Amino acid sequence: MTRLVARAVLLSIALGTAAFAQTASAPNLTGAWVPMGAGRGADPKLAPPPAGPVVLKPAYAKEYDARRAADAEATRRGEPPASDAVLCRPYGMPRMMAVATYPVEILPTPGQITIVTEAFSEVRRIFLNQPQLPIDEVPPGYYGHSVGRWEGDTLVIDTVGIKESVPGYNGIPHSAQMRITERMRLVTPDVLHNQITIDDPVVLEKPVVYTLAYRRLPNYKMVEFICENNREYVDEKGRVRMKLGQ
Amino acid sequence: MRRERLVCGVAAVLLVIQATGGPASAHHSFAMFDTANGITLTGVVTSFEWTNPHVYIELDVPDGPKGAKHWTIELGSPSILQRAGWKFNSIKKGDAITAVVSPLRNGEPGSLLTRLTLSDGRVLTNGGATGVGGGVAPAATPPAR
Repeated sequence: MTRLVARAVLLSIALGTAAFAQTASAPNLTGAWVPMGAGRGADPKLAPPPAGPVVLKPAYAKEYDARRAADAEATRRGEPPASDAVLCRPYGMPRMMAVATYPVEILPTPGQITIVTEAFSEVRRIFLNQPQLPIDEVPPGYYGHSVGRWEGDTLVIDTVGIKESVPGYNGIPHSAQMRITERMRLVTPDVLHNQITIDDPVVLEKPVVYTLAYRRLPNYKMVEFICENNREYVDEKGRVRMKLGQ
Repeated sequence: MRRERLVCGVAAVLLVIQATGGPASAHHSFAMFDTANGITLTGVVTSFEWTNPHVYIELDVPDGPKGAKHWTIELGSPSILQRAGWKFNSIKKGDAITAVVSPLRNGEPGSLLTRLTLSDGRVLTNGGATGVGGGVAPAATPPAR
């Protein structure tokens, strides 16, 4: 029995050391990163490539197009439609990875990389060098179950188990079969690209691919974010309104 | 000059709005504010709320536009404002300020800050291009489909 325990301890130390060694030799992603984009002032060599098209299966496309058109029209009228974020619900994956210009903090530790976002203080954990779970064994949630591995200089993250009610990228619907693959790579020591591929054989005709870019924020101290004073609310017509003070 | 400044301020706000349509998400759309027709509010602060998801200024405006003598001003968040040079105590109750804001389109006395001037002459903006992303504009809106 004692020998078994000793073996287990030795094995766990060995595994932990191996995981740490892999992390230690990997590119340095540690710290805070702020989303950056293309557009005016951006270096075209560092800006993310344009996002790919969203092509939904016909059964989903009609409703999606109608909703997008209705939302755009409401926004033109100055009556923007409600969203989960207006109700102070967190974004979840994959939208949490770029919320306006709020930084994200990447924290590698042995066997795990933790990502903390400033907006809504969301936390996701990426377990390194582990097999992914079957989707039907992951309780559906905002962050799902993520595993990661280094492929050369690229951190590849596989995420499944995102709850269907969590709003998707660009408002696209998704099924329980959605799989998110991220490929994180430093394009310079201080610019990080995250190519995100959303695959959903139920909803999408083909995977959606887009890239987020981040700039390193040296010595940045993440700011707390508790959604305590939410003045936006949704009225009886589904419009976003603002509570006024006295 | 004054008009140019206002245009710059509105451009800063629009950059934030643009972020809502691209890969980046935002807390809420700013479409409920009339960013094309800014107004100026001069008054005394009754409260300054350094909170998330937004910072708020409550302002008594004796000669308020649209007949309202009290206005609520929405700002960015502590994170965004801090990166634009604000502190949690940049404004206090009783301070006299002048704010250029985008009013609510529905006519209520609520607004979104463009920039404000403190009684000592210091000017603070609502983040936007100056305080976020190191001056790099957010990604362009990708095609919807």
